[in-house]
Amino acid sequence: MSAQAGAGTYSPAAAAGDKRREKREELRRHLAEDADWPRADGRSFHDCRPAFMQTGPTTAASGSAYAEFGKTKVIVSVFGPRESKKAMMYSDVGRLNCNVSYTTFATPVRGQGADNKEYSSMLHKALEGAVMLHTFPKTTVDVFALVLESGGSDLPIIISCASLALADAGIMMYDLVTSVSVSCFGKNIIIDPMSDEEAWQDGSLMVAFMPARKEITQLTLTGEWSDGRITNAVELCMDACSKLGDILRDRLKDTATLTSE
Amino acid sequence: MAEKTEPAAAAASRLAGEMEVEAYRRLFPLAFLERHLGESVRPDARRLSEARPTTVALGAVSSAHGSALVRLGDTAMLASVKLEVMSPPAESSDEGSVAVEFHMPPICSPLVRPGRPADVAPVISKALEDVLMSSGMLNLKELCLISGKASWLAYLDIYCLNADGSLFDAALISAVAAFTHLEIPLVSVGDDGRVFTVGGNEGKTKFELVNREKRKLTLGDIPFSLTCALHKDSILADPTSEEESIIETYVTVVVDSSDRIVSIQKLGGTVTSMTAVKECISLAKERRRKLREILIDSVEVMEVDQTE
Repeated sequence: MSAQAGAGTYSPAAAAGDKRREKREELRRHLAEDADWPRADGRSFHDCRPAFMQTGPTTAASGSAYAEFGKTKVIVSVFGPRESKKAMMYSDVGRLNCNVSYTTFATPVRGQGADNKEYSSMLHKALEGAVMLHTFPKTTVDVFALVLESGGSDLPIIISCASLALADAGIMMYDLVTSVSVSCFGKNIIIDPMSDEEAWQDGSLMVAFMPARKEITQLTLTGEWSDGRITNAVELCMDACSKLGDILRDRLKDTATLTSE
Repeated sequence: MAEKTEPAAAAASRLAGEMEVEAYRRLFPLAFLERHLGESVRPDARRLSEARPTTVALGAVSSAHGSALVRLGDTAMLASVKLEVMSPPAESSDEGSVAVEFHMPPICSPLVRPGRPADVAPVISKALEDVLMSSGMLNLKELCLISGKASWLAYLDIYCLNADGSLFDAALISAVAAFTHLEIPLVSVGDDGRVFTVGGNEGKTKFELVNREKRKLTLGDIPFSLTCALHKDSILADPTSEEESIIETYVTVVVDSSDRIVSIQKLGGTVTSMTAVKECISLAKERRRKLREILIDSVEVMEVDQTE
């Protein structure tokens, strides 16, 4: 009795499509010009969403972490170090294998891209520099992320959550990696954008950062930016990353005291 | 080396006194389990016929029309129902339909790797679909919008977030709970024949509503299941993944809310007596009372949350 999935079905959209577009244009204009314009969730431009992070949701994994920033919800599991795939060549440093996938209900339109290849490789690049690969030669550490719901700034949240899960698994790292992105609207910069804001932004910047060492592991920039604004935006991100790093550290200390008691 | 010729079980019990518990558990899993069963207790301190603590949280996915997060011990399932509009096939023009999919993403278990899906996922998927459709819980006519023109296609997606045994049981509770939570959006039909949602009050005068009275599904007999692992003379209800990896024989019994049997599955394993199967059935009936209470409680908790 399986249904004829795919072709011929659609999710009923709200009636007033044109009205929505007008609203978008209005919001965009305001965000570009007016620094006092409130964001949809009432934040100011330089406020992040309230973050909830926790270690250990998946007991079957070596280490795991859950992160929730507003509507964005992510689980990351870390497995290993374990035997590398048979086809792999000998290597005297360990391998990091990353995969990011989305649930079918993560995005408004059902089932868009279960496996996200782009994010998988970006996650790998962001973490690679922080993990001490030489501590687990010949083996692989798997970092798997599942986005339960996508509500904007997905990749930075996956990166931060993954470094928390790696720490929970006891994988040696030089430092935690935290990541924050900003969107640029005209002359304004807003931090930790939601999906709607990301859809209408003029440009974006994402920084992955090691807070204790004050080193950047990954920086991506899209859209039109001037030199001065880039510096400002990077500093804004680095500052937020440091604060996020403190939250991650607290979470790890919480679990450590719980287990030692 | 006389030790090598000793049977493994004897060697295991001789070594037991000298070894750390964790090492013994890993090296001799069967002997470890049997020593527990001899004392009528399980490695996680449960009685043999005792299921793990179960919680149901409704409305876990904000973007879905109905959703539930279920925990059965450490096993966690997230189920979501999303409705889309379709034109019904000619042979069942006044019915909607349901598409069931059970996912085991790589995060849930060390045995699943990306690009290499778990073997059990499609098996559980099919079993769930069979049970949901044959139990009479859903009346597909309720998913019809306009006979012959438009009806709902309910996508039921269940994600296993942590695999620690009895996956089918947890998946079935989450599926039932998601349908309990399902609220059908208010819709109307435009001039082009396409269905669109009507928000809150604005629709009252402008549009003719199609489904004012059909916002909640009336669920018929709800199916509940219990998996038992059979080892020699012992029946272990609701096994963990550790127990599942040691024991070969399982019986999954599904009963509905009036204690009728919906399905019994025993896939392979060793031969089993009818008495053991009967014992499993009576355990399943007991379990279904408990599960029904948990489900009713979860609905009450959600209603309290909404009124606050």
